[in-house]
Amino acid sequence: MSPALPARSGRGSIPTRAGVGLRFRHHREVLDERPAVAWFEVHIENYMGGGTSPAMLDAIRRDYPVSLHGTGLSLGSAEGLDPAHLARVRKVVEHVEPGLVSEHLSFSVAAGNYLADLLPLPMTEEALGIVCRNVEQIQDCLKRTILVENPSTYLQFRHSTIPEWEFLAEVAKRTGCGILCDVNNIYVSACNHGWLAQTYLAALPPAAVGEIHLAGHSLRRLDDARTICIDDHGSRVAPEVWALFAEALARFGPVPTLIEWDTDVPPMAVLLEEAAHAAALIEESKSGNGHALAA
Amino acid sequence: METATPSLLELQRAMRASLVVHDDRGISAHVVPGGIDPAERLDIYRNTFASVLTTALRLSYPAVHRLVNAEFFEGAARIFIEAHPPTTACLDDYGKEFPCFLSDFEPAASLPYLPDVARLEWAVNRALHVPDTESLDPRRLAALAEAERARVCFVPHPSLSLVRVDHPADRIWHAVLQEDDSALSEIDPGESPAWLLVQRLPSGIEVRRMSESAWRFTSALCAGRTLAVALDEARYFDASALLADHLAAGRFADFSLTST
Repeated sequence: MSPALPARSGRGSIPTRAGVGLRFRHHREVLDERPAVAWFEVHIENYMGGGTSPAMLDAIRRDYPVSLHGTGLSLGSAEGLDPAHLARVRKVVEHVEPGLVSEHLSFSVAAGNYLADLLPLPMTEEALGIVCRNVEQIQDCLKRTILVENPSTYLQFRHSTIPEWEFLAEVAKRTGCGILCDVNNIYVSACNHGWLAQTYLAALPPAAVGEIHLAGHSLRRLDDARTICIDDHGSRVAPEVWALFAEALARFGPVPTLIEWDTDVPPMAVLLEEAAHAAALIEESKSGNGHALAA
Repeated sequence: METATPSLLELQRAMRASLVVHDDRGISAHVVPGGIDPAERLDIYRNTFASVLTTALRLSYPAVHRLVNAEFFEGAARIFIEAHPPTTACLDDYGKEFPCFLSDFEPAASLPYLPDVARLEWAVNRALHVPDTESLDPRRLAALAEAERARVCFVPHPSLSLVRVDHPADRIWHAVLQEDDSALSEIDPGESPAWLLVQRLPSGIEVRRMSESAWRFTSALCAGRTLAVALDEARYFDASALLADHLAAGRFADFSLTST
């Protein structure tokens, strides 16, 4: 039933195991101590220049598979992609030769300004056409498919007509891109907008899901009893998100899974514990009945 | 109240106005309230925008950050960000105008050396992050005929900056980052101007003082003067020894030959 999406084969050298998001503070430790991590993911925008950090990444990727995660291409920009930024992304991709390249279903550039966040798109036919056009331009430029990640959002637009999960599945169908399913983001957005997380998972074509992200979130209390769930990548993965991850694996089959932690980055040992938990669930899904659902 | 459906371009420009200049008039009517005021929802994105960029400035200007207190830095950064939102997603390149902003920033007027320290830090930031580039192989220059050598115009290495400061910004910068309070207390901020060269070396970032004449000669070369003209202007000191030093230290990336 699934359309012929290339994401599974486009997984490249990233193993179907648990990886860790690599931040500057751990470069030296990774090189000196070679922790048992199946793969690392880094932010493309942090490696666009020269000097020490790219040199350390070059040394690290000799021993570990690396995937590249973008935050600045702005897939949803109506004014089109910034050609200078796309050229820099391409340069990093050509140099690093990553197993996977991913970006977000959001926008971050408007009127020539970078707005330093992953901003929500209205879920409209117009936005769908623009995202698909931009994804196709990136894939043509990089000569490879990318994965597109579901964002966490704190607002929705009145004129949206398409559920986000259908929008994302349609982008994959039209462009041939894969999906990076951020299970924590699904949980956060479901909390904030009253969605059912299972509906989201059920709408994504399993064959297109090339990677999963897991991270911590927090609850922010507004002036009265109301709360909003914030995707701050600053703590351990919540129990509810681990449960949703198991559901995702049962549906998609085993998928390379990344632990992300960007605020108050903890010692590597903590990240290894989180990755070990994810790895155990992936192994369970390999022996379990996940494939039956995904088939 | 009925509001016309905005195009994606209109909506994104309205979102920009909300984040950068805190003007929600174009966006709030399009946001689903869902029990929370649209302004509160937009505040979440506004906070991220401001805090990500403030962090980027703090990483590029660590000595400025320590010379003022954190609260002062954050306040200055918020005003700067509103006036100079980034034009690139590569935040290593963000904040070039911050030194100039600080020199016009009234609340910082009691620290007259602050803009100079910021100018030095921008040069250091540039040296840290510019793409790796091969230095000019001096043998290419040695292979030229004497007449050709006079017509050489150098291309400076992208990590190289030449900074003239009115205050001893290099000493202040060094003492602040070393957290060396005794060295800091010995610095006379009114000390005479300094001519600095900043460069990325394999061993790290070098900030060195030069004499005014050596600095002027180097600046002339970096500005594209021919070797003959620059040497002629610098006849009062041993420019050829300095040129040899520049070549050995890899301070040029390339050269061309002018036609005349």
